Amino acid sequence: MTSGKKSVHGADSAAIAAAVVAAIGQVLLDSGRRPGPVEPGMLLSADLGLDSLDLAQTVVLLERALGADPFRAPGAGAPRPAIRTVADLTALYVTAAAAAGPGRH
Amino acid sequence: MNTPSFPGASHLADAPAEDRLAFAITEVARQDPERVAIVAGAGGEAIRAIDYATLAAAVARLETTLDAVRPVGIVARARRPESLVVIAAACGRQHVPVAFLAEDSRDLSGELEDWVVVDDSLAIGADPAAPRREFEAVATQVVVATSGTSGPPKLVDHSWDSLLAAARLAEQWHGLGWILVYDATRWAGIQVWLQSLLTGGRLIVPASRDPDVVLRAVVDENAAILPATPTLLRRLLTSGDRSLVARARLERITLGGEAADGPLLEQAHGAFPDAKITQVYATTELGEVFRVADGLPGFPANWLWRSLAGGVRLGMRRDGELLVQLSRDTAEVATGDLVEKRGDRYVFSGRRSDVIVVGGAKVFPRRTEELLRGVAGIADARVYGLPSAITGELVAAEIVLVDPLPAGASAESVRAAALAACRAGLEPHGVPRILDIVRRIATNPAGKVPRRPA
Repeated sequence: MTSGKKSVHGADSAAIAAAVVAAIGQVLLDSGRRPGPVEPGMLLSADLGLDSLDLAQTVVLLERALGADPFRAPGAGAPRPAIRTVADLTALYVTAAAAAGPGRH
Repeated sequence: MNTPSFPGASHLADAPAEDRLAFAITEVARQDPERVAIVAGAGGEAIRAIDYATLAAAVARLETTLDAVRPVGIVARARRPESLVVIAAACGRQHVPVAFLAEDSRDLSGELEDWVVVDDSLAIGADPAAPRREFEAVATQVVVATSGTSGPPKLVDHSWDSLLAAARLAEQWHGLGWILVYDATRWAGIQVWLQSLLTGGRLIVPASRDPDVVLRAVVDENAAILPATPTLLRRLLTSGDRSLVARARLERITLGGEAADGPLLEQAHGAFPDAKITQVYATTELGEVFRVADGLPGFPANWLWRSLAGGVRLGMRRDGELLVQLSRDTAEVATGDLVEKRGDRYVFSGRRSDVIVVGGAKVFPRRTEELLRGVAGIADARVYGLPSAITGELVAAEIVLVDPLPAGASAESVRAAALAACRAGLEPHGVPRILDIVRRIATNPAGKVPRRPA
């Protein structure tokens, strides 16, 4: 389902991390907040002030940028580590990219 | 530019409903054979004019074939509007059931087992083994597919009586030019061509739905009546050539299919000051239910719980869903349309199925769209729900910018102003989280705005 979009596989983790930072910046900008620096160790909620709507928007923006939504992918219901920090979110997309692997449609 | 009514028109209403279209075409052809019935490709490069005599002759030929073959039913699969008219008229008078299937509902034709497909050649293959249905005295049905705005298209059976129930046959309606911007195979489009040809009028079919093509068709063919969805009208007003708008001589705009909001009605009145604007509330299942002619959005609040003209009774569920009872003998039908009281009117807040649920909270896309359209620099807007694993759905919007942009504005500044206006005027969950600038708002084949991701 990623035709026409950039595919997540092949993107290295640095590119994914940059996309996550850019998406969070966009969410803050769109909601009238001033985007400051977004660091990997920052807490999504406590440090960046992201609520569930903000996170949902981030996920849609990342789906557009990376071509994948790990929250809706097959097996998304399986237990996974809590996503508390920017790095946690990045790791989720890196894992999704690795799981997708080459040859995925 | 009214042409005189045709003699014999007074007998039209006396004819059985299924005979009326063929009767009217034949009668006009007899009195005024060269009168133009259909202008196809209007506003484009290849314009074709079909007169009543040509149409009547084609109806007669097809009737002869139908009478010989007596098919179980006819599936009209023609592209040309004149073919659809001929098929409808001939099938009606020959008491052969007929189905009109739009492009996106063709896979429903399997439900019409043994029915014979007729295309623009108007030919019916003679298959001696094919089942026959002899001429029956009982009224035959007309099958139309729903638009699928809120679900997959489905086939709905109508009688010729219900199909013609809303047709205006009085003399003031005779000989007018009608613009067909609807799909000719759907309920709304069928109504337009039936209406125009039952009254000796001209059916003007634009070459495309491009705003300038439609406006050129209106101007060049001297159209008097424009039936359209609010979405299509808004598109004409926001992206059509202003000089063409100014030259249009529309007498009437009939809006249906969606609810029109106040700003659109005001804009239309400003652009077409001589046109009377009527809003028709109809569904494929119920047909026309009521009309509002005062140019204001929604309908008067005192229409609820009262018997209206024709015996229609409107009601409302506790959650605001509009209920319709067509007559004392019919059941009350839940329409799926939500209404809310604003002053002395009930206005439409949207379709029940359009409601976007964000983290358990309901969002009415129409309200957000109205707000966005009020932002300087925005010509049009569409709001829809995007699925989200986190909040169930998320509000997304597309906006079309005015061209040229207001002085000092940029696409980015308009976008930021739109989001700021939404934050100021809506609950947090109603603010679009995805806001894209597009060149044109997508419409579905019925000329309405789709409420799900494109």
